[in-house]
Amino acid sequence: MNKSAQKLDVTPLVDESYCAAATQAIRCEATRLLTEGTVAAVIGYQAGRRKGTAMPTIVSSPEKAAELIFSSACVNNLALYLTKAKKEVRGKGRLAIVAKGCDMRALAGLIAESQVKRDELVIIGVACAGVYASGADRAAPLTNATIARKCRECVVHLPEGADLLAGSLPQQPMLTPLESQELARLEALTPAGRWAFWKEHFSRCVRCMACRQVCPFCYCEQCLCDRNRPQALESTPRPAGNMAWHIVRAMHLAGRCAGCAECERVCPMDIPLNLLNRKMAKELKELYGYEAGLQPQEKGPLAEYKDTDDQSFIK
Amino acid sequence: MSRIGVFICHCGENISRTVDVERVAAAARKLPGVAFAIDYKYMCSDPGQGLVKKVVVEQRLDGVVVAACSPRMHEKTFRNAVKSAGLNPFLCEMANIREHCSWVHEDREEATAKALDIVRLMVERVKKNKALQPITVPITKRSLVIGGGIAGIQAALDIADCGHQVVLVEREPSIGGHMAQLSETFPTLDCSQCIMTPKMVDVANHPNIRLYTYAEVESVDGYIGNFSITIRKKARSVIEEKCTGCGICSTKCPQKKIKSEFDCNLGSRPAIYVPFPQAVPNTPVIDRANCTWFKSGKCGVCAKVCGPGAIDYNQEDELVVEPVGAIVVATGFDLYDIGPKPADSPIDGYGEFGYGTIPDVIDGMTFERLASASGPTGGKIIRPSDGKEPKQVVFIQCVGSRAREKGISYCSKICCMYTAKHTMLYHHKVHDGQAYVFFMDARTPGKNYDEFWRRAVEEEEAVYIRGMVSRLYQKGDKVVVMGSDVLVGVQVEIEADLVVLATAVQARSGADTLAQKLGISYDKYTFYSEAHAKLKPVECATAGIYLAGACQGPKDIPDAVSQASAAAAKVMTLFARDQLEREPIVARVNERTCVACFYCKKVCPYGAVEEKEIRDRQGNLIRVVAYVNPGVCGGCGTCQATCPSKSVELDGYTDEQVMAMIDAL
Repeated sequence: MNKSAQKLDVTPLVDESYCAAATQAIRCEATRLLTEGTVAAVIGYQAGRRKGTAMPTIVSSPEKAAELIFSSACVNNLALYLTKAKKEVRGKGRLAIVAKGCDMRALAGLIAESQVKRDELVIIGVACAGVYASGADRAAPLTNATIARKCRECVVHLPEGADLLAGSLPQQPMLTPLESQELARLEALTPAGRWAFWKEHFSRCVRCMACRQVCPFCYCEQCLCDRNRPQALESTPRPAGNMAWHIVRAMHLAGRCAGCAECERVCPMDIPLNLLNRKMAKELKELYGYEAGLQPQEKGPLAEYKDTDDQSFIK
Repeated sequence: MSRIGVFICHCGENISRTVDVERVAAAARKLPGVAFAIDYKYMCSDPGQGLVKKVVVEQRLDGVVVAACSPRMHEKTFRNAVKSAGLNPFLCEMANIREHCSWVHEDREEATAKALDIVRLMVERVKKNKALQPITVPITKRSLVIGGGIAGIQAALDIADCGHQVVLVEREPSIGGHMAQLSETFPTLDCSQCIMTPKMVDVANHPNIRLYTYAEVESVDGYIGNFSITIRKKARSVIEEKCTGCGICSTKCPQKKIKSEFDCNLGSRPAIYVPFPQAVPNTPVIDRANCTWFKSGKCGVCAKVCGPGAIDYNQEDELVVEPVGAIVVATGFDLYDIGPKPADSPIDGYGEFGYGTIPDVIDGMTFERLASASGPTGGKIIRPSDGKEPKQVVFIQCVGSRAREKGISYCSKICCMYTAKHTMLYHHKVHDGQAYVFFMDARTPGKNYDEFWRRAVEEEEAVYIRGMVSRLYQKGDKVVVMGSDVLVGVQVEIEADLVVLATAVQARSGADTLAQKLGISYDKYTFYSEAHAKLKPVECATAGIYLAGACQGPKDIPDAVSQASAAAAKVMTLFARDQLEREPIVARVNERTCVACFYCKKVCPYGAVEEKEIRDRQGNLIRVVAYVNPGVCGGCGTCQATCPSKSVELDGYTDEQVMAMIDAL
């Protein structure tokens, strides 16, 4: 985060009052679903203790539904709560879940990978104009300096395929696509230059595995990185193992990652992981015309062979 | 500590010429876990195998590495050897130091070092090998034969005579195929109908054969021993069970001028017809495209005259499912369409021969129908344009065959012989006529074939001109043949009354579609590929599927029949056992770590992955995991590579084994 830019640019980016309408719609729908007993619980956000903050919550009674909110501080991808974080709620019955556009893509991916059944979910889509970057001051309004990088070039402000849409989008300014610019800069480097770039970044990795824990697609019960017979990669934070882990992570997410960028948000060492995700998504789009998470697909391009596939890479 | 034996083969001089095998043996002896290492001149020979067996017992080995040729060559040999010595065969591995080392390197030092590397990798691998038990799969002892030509008929009869049920599927309304169209057959000139039709009747009457004519294979599921075939019975518009085959419908049908496909468009047939009088089954079919009822909704004469009421205009295609254990593919061939430029064909046409524009230029099969006693002319050879008897006939061989510039490089094999036969048939019927043959080579390898050809040339007065024809054109009522005689070195011009083109044998149209349904491979001409050109000529690479006849490549009748009987023998070999033993190289799912993303199911080319429900004792569903059916699994390992949580392992190729090899490098 560019601290000086943060100080300079304090003009609110969007009229955040749209969040109030979204909050109202979410509460109303959640109350109705819980009262009617359509769902056992609603996975959403509630206000955090400090001013302007928000945190994930699971609400299972209509009275509690009034605590649900939506704001620019609702950064978390709640899809995680279906597979890993609170797995036990799945056993309770049908669930409702609040989903921003990027979260919706993750849900579509999980449905395609048989992790969640669509008819077991009520998806409350929410219009989202962008959320805070990691570490930004949530008490102040969202500004050009405090918006998350992924949101600067978001194409899914309105979730596709949700059961209903809460809120509506305010007027949005055009923002500089910093990630795409950075990606273009990296692509222009020599392979050695790129290697040096990533080597430097990965050398900082402490292997806290937060990127894995927060990723909705890293739902394996036993990650291959934790296996020791045979050991696939070194588990201590040393350069070779770090590089191997991040390559494995990127490759395992190719064609699946929908770009919620939670990995980058939670990284304590500021490794720009979403650049890798974005690059993978770009390759998939260029090679196969495929975008992850647009709709639950029977097969992604990496799980399918077609006679018409591009084979020019075979030398 | 493991007790592994390393056996290093000289392969005569194939390996020892570039690899210092004694040094490899000495170095192998020092490897941790190696109890014994020795080199020998021919390890695969009887004494060599004896040595392996003896050492396995004497040294109480728990693993064997044979450093020799490719596992494709002798893995089975040595696994059988260690098995007979009491060791599990899957504890024996080949280290390929021939194809991967001695054959491709020249430097003795480096090759020796590499050979030792290969041996060391395999030693590490064998340490991680586990004893595997063969998988047994039950066999459905019924067979499917696709195609009712002579090859399919022979295969079906052989299998049925052995006491097994056969399902015979034929695309056309009658079985018989091309052979039923022929007049006489080389090299004996016996009548094709006389030897073919009794076999067709045998098929129809055989208690073990279920015949589906006017039917096609819709889809194929399953695997060797347990296929499930869906057959599409096309709507015949005639109820087979009711029809007595009296033929009054055909007689009364007002549409009589439809060109007969069986007679190569020379004769005509009604809209409700049997392709030829000797058809099996003798049940007509309505050609809906040409029937007045189907075109205008009026007529209905056949329904009115049919005594048993067998006509059913509303009949629809019917899908039948047949379980079988083996499949014989005998779909035969097509003749090369010699029009100017066949549509959708990579092959250039023969526009210069004017086929299709000059009426008296015909192909070999049309000549067969002209010469056939049951043909449209009653066996009288007359030319299509004016019905006159041709006095000069030119036969041109290799039309489409051996023509690289046209796109077919292979020899169609049968044309030399049938052209010689044609000259004889012509000479027998038109005594004062003269036959000329343009040919490249006369290829007559076969019992009594060359004698037959010589008879055509020496006794039946056919004039053979070595050379190709450049152009045919109409001049008055003659067809002028311009060619060259390369032996004499002159240009030749013959004014012929009739020209017969010996057109190439091609794969059936749609052969590729069927191959994709069956999961078998084919070559660039869409002829089906055998598993091994010499040693497995009737097997497909896909287990349980066998080839018979010209669908595999051009064949004459004796070859097609032999191959059909061979394919039948293979089916019977399979059916001789109650259970099928399979190599246990199959994938296995770790249910504890499987997260049920089913990427394995999506990528599996064999359809071997199923969703398995894990329930507790009360029957409550706990979770769903992937399950690999070992009977279906082909052991390709795609699922293993795809599984994100590494919950799939391929027995015999586990991650542990492969990583041990990498670590040893």
